[in-house]
Amino acid sequence: MDWGQPVNTAMDSLTAALKSNIIPNQEYLLQGSVLDAAVEVLLHRLRGLCDNVDSGPETFHDHEMCFSIRGTSPQPLLLRVRRALDYQDMPWQLRYIGQSELGDKSRPTIVRSSIDVGCNATVVEFLTELGCRMDFEYILRGYMFRKGRMKITVSKIFKMGQGKPPESVEPMSQSYLVELSVLAPNGQDAIGEDMKNFAEQLRPLVQLDKIDYKRLPVTGPP
Amino acid sequence: MAYSVNISVEAPIESQIQEITYDGQEIYQAPLSMSENLAKMAQKIDFARVSPDTFKSEPMETDKPDDDAQSKDSAAFQAPQCLWDSVRSKLRNSLTELCVLQDVLTIAKEKRYMVLDPVPQEVPEQKPMAQIYARKKALSGAASVLLSAAERLRTSQTEMARNRTTPDFHIELLRLRQNWRLKKVSNAIIGDLSYRTAGSKFSQMGMFEVTKAEDDASTSQASSPPPSPGLGPPMPPKPPSALRVTVPSELQGVAYIMVLCRKDQEDLSVSANLLGSSAPSANPDVHWQQKLEAAQNVLFCKELFNQLAKEAVQLQGPIPHMVVGNQIMATVLPGIQLIIGLCHSGGGGESKRGIAPPPPKGDHDHVLEHSLHQLLREVHHKNTHHPFPHPSSGPLGPSKRRALAGPTAADRYQLLEMTKSKTMLEEMIEQTQHFFMRLRAEYVLDTIAKEVKDPLIVSHWNALNSPTQSCVKITIITHGYEVIGKSSLIVHVGQKSMKCVCRDGKVMHLSYEPQELRDLIFCQIHQHQINSVQALGRCMGWQHLANSPHLGIGPVEPLGNASSCILASPMGDRIIAIRCAPQAGPQVFIAHSPRKDFFSGQLVKERKWENLGGPFKEVRWDKMEGKNFLNKMELLMASLTSNS
Repeated sequence: MDWGQPVNTAMDSLTAALKSNIIPNQEYLLQGSVLDAAVEVLLHRLRGLCDNVDSGPETFHDHEMCFSIRGTSPQPLLLRVRRALDYQDMPWQLRYIGQSELGDKSRPTIVRSSIDVGCNATVVEFLTELGCRMDFEYILRGYMFRKGRMKITVSKIFKMGQGKPPESVEPMSQSYLVELSVLAPNGQDAIGEDMKNFAEQLRPLVQLDKIDYKRLPVTGPP
Repeated sequence: MAYSVNISVEAPIESQIQEITYDGQEIYQAPLSMSENLAKMAQKIDFARVSPDTFKSEPMETDKPDDDAQSKDSAAFQAPQCLWDSVRSKLRNSLTELCVLQDVLTIAKEKRYMVLDPVPQEVPEQKPMAQIYARKKALSGAASVLLSAAERLRTSQTEMARNRTTPDFHIELLRLRQNWRLKKVSNAIIGDLSYRTAGSKFSQMGMFEVTKAEDDASTSQASSPPPSPGLGPPMPPKPPSALRVTVPSELQGVAYIMVLCRKDQEDLSVSANLLGSSAPSANPDVHWQQKLEAAQNVLFCKELFNQLAKEAVQLQGPIPHMVVGNQIMATVLPGIQLIIGLCHSGGGGESKRGIAPPPPKGDHDHVLEHSLHQLLREVHHKNTHHPFPHPSSGPLGPSKRRALAGPTAADRYQLLEMTKSKTMLEEMIEQTQHFFMRLRAEYVLDTIAKEVKDPLIVSHWNALNSPTQSCVKITIITHGYEVIGKSSLIVHVGQKSMKCVCRDGKVMHLSYEPQELRDLIFCQIHQHQINSVQALGRCMGWQHLANSPHLGIGPVEPLGNASSCILASPMGDRIIAIRCAPQAGPQVFIAHSPRKDFFSGQLVKERKWENLGGPFKEVRWDKMEGKNFLNKMELLMASLTSNS
């Protein structure tokens, strides 16, 4: 046996993949909000615009927990754990979302780095053992659409009821969150234009824009 | 000699002497600058002096210096006085006027003695007649435009009313728009008949142009009253469409994919000729819907063939696939070739391969052609129907298996397995292989059922099967003895092999050679005979002495082994031995013990030895009475059963 052969570790292949820029680790994002009363109209429009809606829009029902851990830097590291309540057999998702780059006027969308990994239910325990603290949690319920590489979600945010069954959760607001996002490898900025055009087509119904959380009166991401 | 004397000439002192020091030195005042000079002179204006002659004429003013000229100084100032006088008088006058104005305003403000009244503004002179004329002209211009439009509408209306039979272009366009994708590019209407929106990734464009068949309609309208033009095909007199669609020449005509299965090499050349067939040539007068559908079908067939050809080149089989012209040849099973051809004819003299006789109908395989179409549709569907991620923040694209691979720690092998997918050609070959396997199994079973009459062979094909697997249940029974003995086995027909599950649970794997199945069925038939004889014997009270499914004695069988069993009569005095060989058929021997007639010989002296059993004698089975083997056996056993 040839022991001199260097072993190809997973880390090596991961760095190689990163170097060749095939990992979709950038999220291009536009956000907006629509009132409950107007959501039907928006859904109708989306059904007209998006791909494969002949079988009706795809629904989803997710539960997200946001964990934070304080390291050496003053900024805490935020990690999100999300699971599908309606698809119990699907893996959980652990996700890191970087700082949103709003850019100037010429940049059509928010760009933020996003790394996600599938995991199982023990991830919560694992994160707690690591020293993470759960900041907040919420439930998202809504509809998903697809248009090419773009993913459009129209969802309502619910407060997590302490000890209450998930059916009797209380809505956070009187509106739906609308998100238009694409996960792409680094440097594929052309997709931003497509997103802008698509958002333009939804324009009177919902205003999809680059939302700066820091300027919002209420702090904290959704 | 007179010497010149130096005379110093000094300029007179223009500056005033300010001071003379004691040593006689004079200190001069610095001469005035221009502005100082001006200021000095301006100071000299005596605004207070109100001479009555100021109100007099100007020439009077000039006389004034004469009165004032007393001193040298005054004379010196006389000129500036004169110069400034006009300024002074003007300023004065303006002051007076301002004072008057102020007084007037003060009085007017009190509104007791004087009131300021607005003077009525002079109205700009209006020329009513000119305006009326201008309006009239504009109105008449607009009216003429409207009138001409109305006239044009009326003529078109009457035109339409006159030839009501020709359908409206716009109505037709609306119908076209309901079924096809159209867009307007500058002045033309361009449609797209490709399957791109349905998930196709074929590079060829499917553009067509929509035009108004104006001239065409008028000519046909003119020529329609006479029965029909000679060159036109005998079509029912249908009103011509107001629409004309122009499809690119490469999509014109009729195309189809033909799948042929050939058994031997010789036929290949024949089939090659058959493929370049000529279908009914494209009719120029067909309705646009049919025309577009045909063009779309051409595009679809081209994509299908293109894809298959690409796969055929890439696939590495033990026998490489061949792509020649518009044919793909693949070896399915030894000696069996699958030929997939693209037939495209018509399309403006583009027909290939010259004139060849049309292929004999029924020669090609409709089922495989259909599944080819189905396969490409599935590819299209898969291209557009990606699974949605759950939870919703996940990336679009990966399948559920991929999503689960991480958390379930899938290994390299499993991941590699996930990436594998069968190409269309591979699936096609598998289906063809299965098709042939099924055909062979059917043939074998049918021929055996025809050949072998004694035990009846009944085969039930499952109605529900997949394109690559089907199942047949074979039951072997003897007519009239169904209750006594029934052997059944199940054969799963796969792609390149068959699996037989026998009644006793034995599983046998057979290759694609039909002889193997045939041999197996024959073995099963003879086992069935032996088994049912035993069952029959039990029913008749006979005793089962021995049984061997694989008899080691006797002549060697070409396939399998002979099986045998030995039965004894209820009294034990008769013994029947049955030997059943696949090739030779059943042989029956009987032995008596003791014999009814005993003659003592040299070897056997006493009768008791006869109880050991006598020699077996073969029964001439073909002379036996009975409809079939079991029937004969029953009769034999009945005759041998002694009631003593």
